[in-house]
Amino acid sequence: MRLPRFEYLEPDDLTQALDMLASHKEDVKIIAGGTDLLVRMKNQLLTPAFVMSMKQLSGLSYIKNHDDTLTIGAKTTLADIVDSDDIQEGYTALAQAAERVGAETIQHHRGTISGNILQDTRCIHYNQSRFHRSGRQPCHKDGGKICYARDEGDRCYSTYQGDMAPALIALEAKVVLSKKDGKRTINLSDLFTSDGFHPFSIEPDELLTEIILPKQKNNSKSAYQRLSYRSAIDYPITSAGVMINSKAEKIKKARIVVGSMSRAPLFMVKASETLAEKSLTDIDAFKEAAGIAMDNAGTFAVHNAGSTLEYRCDMTFVMVLKALEQAAGIEK
Amino acid sequence: MSDYNLIGKRMPRVDSRSKVTGKVRFTADLNLPGMLVGKVKRSPYAHARIVKIDTSKAKALPGVKAVVTGEDTEGVKWGVFAYTRDQQFIQMEKVRYIGDEVAGVAAVDEETALKALDLIEVEYEELPAVFDPLEAMASKGPLIHDDFPDNINVHVNIDTGSVDENFEKSHYIREDTFVAAEESYFQAEPYAVVARFDEEDCLEVWMPNGGPHMKSKPLSNAFKIPLHKVKVKKIAIGGAFGGRSEICPVDYICALLAKRTKAPVKIQFTREENTIATRQGHSMIVTHKTGVDKEGQVLARETTCYMDGGAYSSTGPIATSVPFLSMEQAYRMGSVRYNGYRIYTNKPIRGMIRVHGRAFACGVDTQLDMIADHLSIDPVEIRLKNSRQPGEYTSTKSQVSSCAMDETILKAVEKSKFKEKWGKLPAYHGIGIGTNSVQTGFPMGIRGGSQAFIKFNEDGEATVMSGVVDNGQGNDNMLVQIAAEELGLLPEDIHLVSADTETTSSDPGSYSQVSTFVGGQAVQVAAKNCKKRLFDVAAKILKVEPDTLAAKNRMIYVKDDPEKSIPIKKVVRIALLNFTSVNAQGGYWPKVDMKREWVSNPFGQMCEAFSFGTTIIEVKVDPDTGQVEVLEATAVQDVGKALNPLVLEGQFEGSIAMGGQANLTEYHDWKDGRVLNPTMLEYKLPLACDMPPKINNIIVESVDPKGPYGAKEAGMSIAMSAAQAYAAAVSNAIGVYLDSYPLTPDKILAAIKKKQEEEAKQGAKKARVN
Amino acid sequence: MEKITITLNVNNESHEVLVAPNDTLLEVLRDQLDFTGSKESCGEGVCGSCTVHMDGKPVRACLTLALEAENIEIKTVEGLANGDELSPLQQSFIDHGAVQCGFCTPGMLMSADALLNNNRQPDEATVRKAISGNICRCTGYAKIVHAVAHAHNPHQGCCDCNHKE
Repeated sequence: MRLPRFEYLEPDDLTQALDMLASHKEDVKIIAGGTDLLVRMKNQLLTPAFVMSMKQLSGLSYIKNHDDTLTIGAKTTLADIVDSDDIQEGYTALAQAAERVGAETIQHHRGTISGNILQDTRCIHYNQSRFHRSGRQPCHKDGGKICYARDEGDRCYSTYQGDMAPALIALEAKVVLSKKDGKRTINLSDLFTSDGFHPFSIEPDELLTEIILPKQKNNSKSAYQRLSYRSAIDYPITSAGVMINSKAEKIKKARIVVGSMSRAPLFMVKASETLAEKSLTDIDAFKEAAGIAMDNAGTFAVHNAGSTLEYRCDMTFVMVLKALEQAAGIEK
Repeated sequence: MSDYNLIGKRMPRVDSRSKVTGKVRFTADLNLPGMLVGKVKRSPYAHARIVKIDTSKAKALPGVKAVVTGEDTEGVKWGVFAYTRDQQFIQMEKVRYIGDEVAGVAAVDEETALKALDLIEVEYEELPAVFDPLEAMASKGPLIHDDFPDNINVHVNIDTGSVDENFEKSHYIREDTFVAAEESYFQAEPYAVVARFDEEDCLEVWMPNGGPHMKSKPLSNAFKIPLHKVKVKKIAIGGAFGGRSEICPVDYICALLAKRTKAPVKIQFTREENTIATRQGHSMIVTHKTGVDKEGQVLARETTCYMDGGAYSSTGPIATSVPFLSMEQAYRMGSVRYNGYRIYTNKPIRGMIRVHGRAFACGVDTQLDMIADHLSIDPVEIRLKNSRQPGEYTSTKSQVSSCAMDETILKAVEKSKFKEKWGKLPAYHGIGIGTNSVQTGFPMGIRGGSQAFIKFNEDGEATVMSGVVDNGQGNDNMLVQIAAEELGLLPEDIHLVSADTETTSSDPGSYSQVSTFVGGQAVQVAAKNCKKRLFDVAAKILKVEPDTLAAKNRMIYVKDDPEKSIPIKKVVRIALLNFTSVNAQGGYWPKVDMKREWVSNPFGQMCEAFSFGTTIIEVKVDPDTGQVEVLEATAVQDVGKALNPLVLEGQFEGSIAMGGQANLTEYHDWKDGRVLNPTMLEYKLPLACDMPPKINNIIVESVDPKGPYGAKEAGMSIAMSAAQAYAAAVSNAIGVYLDSYPLTPDKILAAIKKKQEEEAKQGAKKARVN
Repeated sequence: MEKITITLNVNNESHEVLVAPNDTLLEVLRDQLDFTGSKESCGEGVCGSCTVHMDGKPVRACLTLALEAENIEIKTVEGLANGDELSPLQQSFIDHGAVQCGFCTPGMLMSADALLNNNRQPDEATVRKAISGNICRCTGYAKIVHAVAHAHNPHQGCCDCNHKE
């Protein structure tokens, strides 16, 4: 499969990279690992005039432990995340999510955390070759007015299937977005617009440079669970990232995030809140929370990611429950 | 104990060295001087009339060397059989599926060729399309092919008589319907063709093929040139599994572009093109009605099968018959009636694939398990009660000579500890058995036999020429092994020339499990003939009778006095000095009933030998997710004689993957005639971690009287029985007989839930009664 | 879009090549340098047939821009053998019958080689994980797993480990 034509940009450092973004804006796409971008380009879902490589920006590859936070450089590879003791111990959900991306021995050396976070939403009717998409009306995401996943769909219902973001949002991650004249730090959850056509709030001249994970008070455990039909090289059809803060066996704060069921990872406020002050061994409470999460997620999902919609909804319950049990240390 | 040197030994394959070094060339690896890049313009509509094609803009693009459409062809329609000629190589009037060929271009590079495709303007008038076979049959709309009423492409009807009477006599009758979605080949190598016309105007062409002679004839017809001018060349092939059996329209398009441009042209398919524009498996709906006596012996069976054939005939009559044949070979039936319908739809073309009809085969065995359940006998007993025995005739009157079906069942049962486990495994833990049989070859008329030629070189080494093709299964090694065994040479002394229509004689091809039986046997006969010539010369030198001689390790020696010997090389040289040629030919034609025909006369000897296989699978199902973990697989096949156990085991293990594991995840998903999962990302091929950690391979040798060294077929009975065993094991684990394949987690979970709800309801009812 | 001359270091040899930004490493290896051992099977980073090493790590050449491969040590299947002498892994593939059609073999070898460079005696589960990004349609993986696990670590019970005497 042939890539469409583009100009290649290879900035030497971050300053130069931000300059390039400032001058080319939406005409430029950033290639980190390339595993997401180049497939889209081969299918001509994207035909950017410029492709900017992160190759020389080695300064963006780090995992640093600070007093109150752990910071991860945008270019850090999935392999480095899996290998980090700090992340394995303090942010288990993130390590588990990284482990499940693609095939461990391949994508992990090229795939980066920012590339994974910023992977575009997907749909089985949209992520297809140009030939496949010809001979029919273009869908919303393709610049048209039709949705093939949902009858009468008035907007794009493509699904966000990244693994890292649900885990990171459960862990209350923030991201640093840098541009030529400054930078801003936002909650990772605010990076998502819930608009399938335009899923991220990052500006064209901004570069995601850092991920910040707060250190949790109390006893904090997290877990990530995802379901796919195959043991590797597969996107999840539903997933759950959870974090539980507890003190003396009582849950102080829980965060449940469901992935692969909507245009963005879904932070399940209501389901999370029901767990406050519940015991760490209260399986009925976990089931109730998982049930609420499933019902809420089910209202967003459309049939566009393999398997049946009913099955994906059912499995959302199972993934949330399994993740909660794992984080609470009561795995079956 | 056999006294073979090489036969029966674990012989590493002769072609593996060039494969592990990356030196071997597949079609896409060819790079000829001045070669152009070819691309194919395909229909984006499932059913449409072609109103107008304008190629002027494409032709005007710099770098474009040729653009061809149906107007440039001879208009010849292709079909495997005289009565199935329904496909033009480039469509002129109508397109019938998304992917149908409408034009081809050759250009200096890929970018230019792709741009040229965009510049070809095709005006279509869309027609109503139909994607469901039952709808297509009932459709009052326009036909997909005008001369096939009700869109019925093929109807195979087989009736042995006495079916209704035997149902009357039956103690228990069941009728169940099974469905399966279409699976796909996903050969590792995407389809590719390189073609050029040489200085003598001969067409030279390289492509993955299931038999080079199956390619040369239609090309000769299409170009109206003699067969000797079509040279289908030998090339490494990255898997076939039945999907490379026939001519592909793009073979012709590539050759036509080469002719027009007077340059070599290469066309390489994308993965999506390989999925939609080569072949797929048939989806099917099968109803089996079976009547048994008190002991579970099948007295009568009636099977009706509707197969979605896609837009064209392909090997339709064969594909419509083989699922039935496998059943009638494996199981004795008092009487049987079969109606198989292959229906045209506006979907990609369907061909023969490794498991001949998942719904058919799994249906037969699932229903047997249901009957056994009803009669309170176990799955092993009911199979032994109905299993094929040596010397018997199948329902369609093929005599089965060698047959160790019972032994495959018993050995599999013993190895897997089936009896100890059946009914005693913990919840959601199951074990299942599948049995099947595959034919070694079909009646193929003029191309039913294979011929080989062997010549000795003056250094005592030999060149073997055979039309047999190697799709990756190891046929090249098989031919070398047989030749070396017979000639008394080492494998490295044999140079193989094969699968080349210029130098090798015709052969049935490798898609009907016949390569060893027929092609291997032809080499064996040629080698024996050649050896006889050497022995005649050696006998004179050694002053003994020729029949006292044997050959081994490059020496000819007297059997009873091995010290008395002479190097083969010396014999060759003496022969040549004495005006004696040291080459020979040999051929093998299986004794089949040449009057047997798929539709008009489906009775008579089908082939000379049948393989029999049993697979047992043990699984654990996650009741929360419906996902299946396969714990252990046991594969046992009666192969006649194992020529090379190392290769055989590889066939068994591959069959567990493509026949069995595939029955958990592999299927195509559709939207209006578009395949939603044409790629390896969305179509779930099993990975190393998905496979059972342990596969037990057991080879059973019934030593077929007709096969070379007694050999029959390798692995296909495992592929089919594995599909059945996976279905049986999952059904056993969840306590529900599943009837829709593949057994994806959503279906399994739905079945578990339904069962739990029913049990809860019954529990409630019971509680009320109490 | 201008083509640029870059130097690619493949199997310890430098090659000057003229590449367009949209040339993938796989295209340049195959079409310009005739390293046709690396295959295109899916073209989208799923099947692993195009796996090569970049600085010792397995990557998909079909999803790597040629320009991004500059100044990096690239190893392809053609670089595994030392002249005519096969690597133990290659020999093990032959001996264990791990090769059928051979199309996935180069990529499979590169993934396995990367594993063995870090772990000479992997157990079977580790091997399965290491090759989980390589799809084989022929073998069912069993013989590949044995070939990799036994490459540097012949098993007594394995009848294919020792038939080379």
